[in-house]
Amino acid sequence: MPPELRRLFVILAVVVMGIAVVWATRFDSMPPADFSIQNGTDPKTLDPHRATGQPESRILFGMFSGLLQMLPDGDPDPVSGLQPMSPQPAVAKSYEVSDDKLTYTFHLRDDAVWSDGVPITSEDFVWSWTRMLHPATACEYNFQLFSVPFAEQFSSGVVNVGDRCEVELFDRPNPDGTTEADTGELNIQNFPRGTMLYGTLREIRKPPEPELAEDVTEDDREEAMLNWQESWVFVLDIAEEDENGDIDWDGPTTRQTFTADMDSPVADEDTQRVHNVLVAFSKLGGMETPDEHTFVVNLEDPLPYFPSLAAYYPLFPVPRHVIEKHGAPMWTKAENIVSNGPYVVGLRRLRDRVRLVKNPRWFGADSVAIETIDALSTEGQNTALNMYETGQIDWVTDPPTALLETLKQRDDFYAAPMLSVYFFRINTTRKPLDDPRIRRALSMAIDRQQIVDQVAKAGQVPAYALVPPGIVGYEPPPGFKPDVDAAKQLLADAGYPGGRGIPKITLLYNTSEGHRAIAEVVQQQLQNNLNVKLELQNMEWGSFLDKTNQIDYDIARAGWIADYADPNTFLDLWLTDGPQNSTGWSSAEFDQLLKEAAAESDAEKRMQLLSQAEAIWIDEMPVIPLYFYVGINMVKPRIKGFFPSPQDLHPLHLMSIDDGSDQQTDAEVAGKPNGRDLFIADRLLSAPAPLSKLPSIIRPTAPSQLPNEKVTAR
Amino acid sequence: MTDLFSYAIRRFGWMLLTVWAVYTVSFVLMRAVPGNPFSSERTVPPAIERQLRARYNLDAPPIEQYTDYLVGIVTRGDLGVSIRLEDYTVNEVLAEGFPVSASLAILALVFALTLGVTAGVVSAVYRGSAGDLALMGTAVLGIAIPNFVLASLAILLFVFIIPIFPAAGWGTLRQVALPALCLGAPVAAYIARLTRAGMLEVLGREHVRTAFAKGLPKSTVILKHVLPGALLPVVSYLGPATASVLTGSLVLEKIFALPGIGSHFIYAATQRDYTLAMGMVLTYTVLLFVMNSLVDLSYAVIDPRVKLQ
Repeated sequence: MPPELRRLFVILAVVVMGIAVVWATRFDSMPPADFSIQNGTDPKTLDPHRATGQPESRILFGMFSGLLQMLPDGDPDPVSGLQPMSPQPAVAKSYEVSDDKLTYTFHLRDDAVWSDGVPITSEDFVWSWTRMLHPATACEYNFQLFSVPFAEQFSSGVVNVGDRCEVELFDRPNPDGTTEADTGELNIQNFPRGTMLYGTLREIRKPPEPELAEDVTEDDREEAMLNWQESWVFVLDIAEEDENGDIDWDGPTTRQTFTADMDSPVADEDTQRVHNVLVAFSKLGGMETPDEHTFVVNLEDPLPYFPSLAAYYPLFPVPRHVIEKHGAPMWTKAENIVSNGPYVVGLRRLRDRVRLVKNPRWFGADSVAIETIDALSTEGQNTALNMYETGQIDWVTDPPTALLETLKQRDDFYAAPMLSVYFFRINTTRKPLDDPRIRRALSMAIDRQQIVDQVAKAGQVPAYALVPPGIVGYEPPPGFKPDVDAAKQLLADAGYPGGRGIPKITLLYNTSEGHRAIAEVVQQQLQNNLNVKLELQNMEWGSFLDKTNQIDYDIARAGWIADYADPNTFLDLWLTDGPQNSTGWSSAEFDQLLKEAAAESDAEKRMQLLSQAEAIWIDEMPVIPLYFYVGINMVKPRIKGFFPSPQDLHPLHLMSIDDGSDQQTDAEVAGKPNGRDLFIADRLLSAPAPLSKLPSIIRPTAPSQLPNEKVTAR
Repeated sequence: MTDLFSYAIRRFGWMLLTVWAVYTVSFVLMRAVPGNPFSSERTVPPAIERQLRARYNLDAPPIEQYTDYLVGIVTRGDLGVSIRLEDYTVNEVLAEGFPVSASLAILALVFALTLGVTAGVVSAVYRGSAGDLALMGTAVLGIAIPNFVLASLAILLFVFIIPIFPAAGWGTLRQVALPALCLGAPVAAYIARLTRAGMLEVLGREHVRTAFAKGLPKSTVILKHVLPGALLPVVSYLGPATASVLTGSLVLEKIFALPGIGSHFIYAATQRDYTLAMGMVLTYTVLLFVMNSLVDLSYAVIDPRVKLQ
């Protein structure tokens, strides 16, 4: 290679490096928002029907408004500092409940509009709830509407002969204007839908059931059965639909046949290809729309907590016109999304932030004080605290575990009991844990106070029952007391005096420092108190869940956060074969009590029934409850309108920024550290902080939890 | 020139083969581990899980999934839809995160090269002096201290004690400075040692003695006759350096809350996001392969003794 070329090459390399540096140092700078939240991680999605978890809920509660919203109600609890919340009007300006507690009539506001100006009508709720329940939407919270007639049947895709059904033909529109019928390609978008037909199911023609060998796995069996069901041919008498969308079920009909699998051996040439045949949920009276601003819901069970559900995001309306235009998930892109809450999405950058901008079209926009909010995806606990101390973040939702004892002394630290519980599932199908005496013995021999004080630190509330305290109107059963002697006696009664002869039991937990520490303490306590040997086993999250769901463990840790403020959310986990049961435990009496409670319209009696059910659960002890979590947050004093609440809900539109009294605000907004913060940081790094002399509005009572568990209850 | 082209084409062929092998192994490994993308604490009913599997083509037989996905990548450059970050396709995730990671890596490498070479030259020229000792001592420390420890110390020093940099975030030069320094420091230390060793070796050569004997000024001798030869080991180290900067950024992105692609790599694997994990693995494979090829290529260009084969 000639030397000139070599020299040229070196020059070229330097030039390329120079260009790269120039490119790398160019930034789209963006002014910081007025208020920044550590949101913990990226929201999985901004679709209210697909979201779960707290990072999503913080954003969704800001973006969308439901029929009702949770707002403060009454004075804070003087002991815990908890601000009680209750469902209050939002998109519905008022509602009435019938005497039998089965019919809710919501009167919608006239001025409720989407952020693009399109009015919100009662039809939006019918459409949204139908979408939420549709099997292809696969909403994890679909059960929240299961007290509406046919909702569960619709959502699980079950149809029986004689049912009034809806049929979706295989002609869903594609974004390019064609339909599935034109292209023959499956479009997985379940909304917008293809042509809908309604009729009564007269017959299901089934090909012969596939014969499976004895030794096939559960998964293969399931798969084969689902494939078989796909080849069924449905015979319906299709009724006529008038221009209002009402179905004349008893009028003239035409007989037609449908199938999802055109290769089905029982199909004939007239059989039409469909996506699915479902019960006609939206046409069967569960939801009614007498006019644009009246929405009537008819329930099967008198759910006393239905208003709370209506204030929870899975039941919020979604913009039909936007979803049908862009499809999912494209409608959730920042440039497409339209919402109806106090804020709209201004920008979304993965691993960085979701910026919320005030929605001037929200019906309560006059009272919204903060113009822009950043929900930062900051994950690192220390990172978030550093950013908080230097003024880049105003609200930390996950402070570092190691510093909790110091942090909890501060005035800007809020800790309050939360409706959630940390527990160990027990595999009740394995010996010797199938004996309730052994389960009780293990549970009674654990010193929860030690776990709470020394491991989880800062003292969560020890749990001797299933339902956390703080649910209004619920009188919990007495629970049990930790008692090593009684535990030894139980063990002896079960045939293992002094713990002799008990095989080694494995305690399974998902990999995490916090869980390991708790598991080790429990291991030591059971060894010392009962001479029962535990083996610890940790597993990465995905494998851990597999093991738990297949009931392939001895004891496995878990956590549960209330879906709504009612004991039922904790109790119905343990119904026989319930999807979350995973312990193999079953009690007919327990199931019966829950069923009676669901049908009971007298609130007091209902709570008594639930309490009786919990008493049975405690007696049988399929699960060892350990402690009730507390919600912890750190919020800058300049943010007003923040208060601890039982479900860790903090409505963003109630918050405001107090600029007047805090002179350092400007520096903080600009991201510069300042004297006071430095001082705090200094204290943090050195000795435990002295108790502040300033009086605080709300004292932290129950200090803290292992914070990384709060988001997913992992 | 022709051997250069044929070399490039051969490397490209090898790259395709490597990527294909990586694709196959990742595909098998990901589906072999227990758990699936839809595992969650709240169990999903079978009918719903089936709908979800259909959405991501996971209900097809494995061979069909393997070919469908491969065909999509080859023909359309389409890495599919992320399973856990539902609102994004894998291409979108990469498009958002890659520029951030690339900026960080470029700044870290440039910083490492500048500092490392300067320190190496200085300590070689003044070998045995206190300055040499101090620089090389620092370099040993730099290699020994992992970058996340360095990051914590740097935050303590430059964010809290001397507040000149913001604690974390992305969007300004000041925000990227600290992570780039922490990421580049171990590389700089290594480069400093390589440069010093190279310099010392060349300084003892006869042509250098001749240059000094001719009466050339010291700076000319060092820059013209010593440095080019001494930098050859540094150039060959650039390949591994790129790898170290890319993998090191996984940790720093979390500490400094940077929106790069590093953290997706870990989450995609732990959350069984098959498509995203595959996208990440393939991206890193291509990136490392290309960087190594470029290094080999430039090595051949600047060193007349090396022949391309």
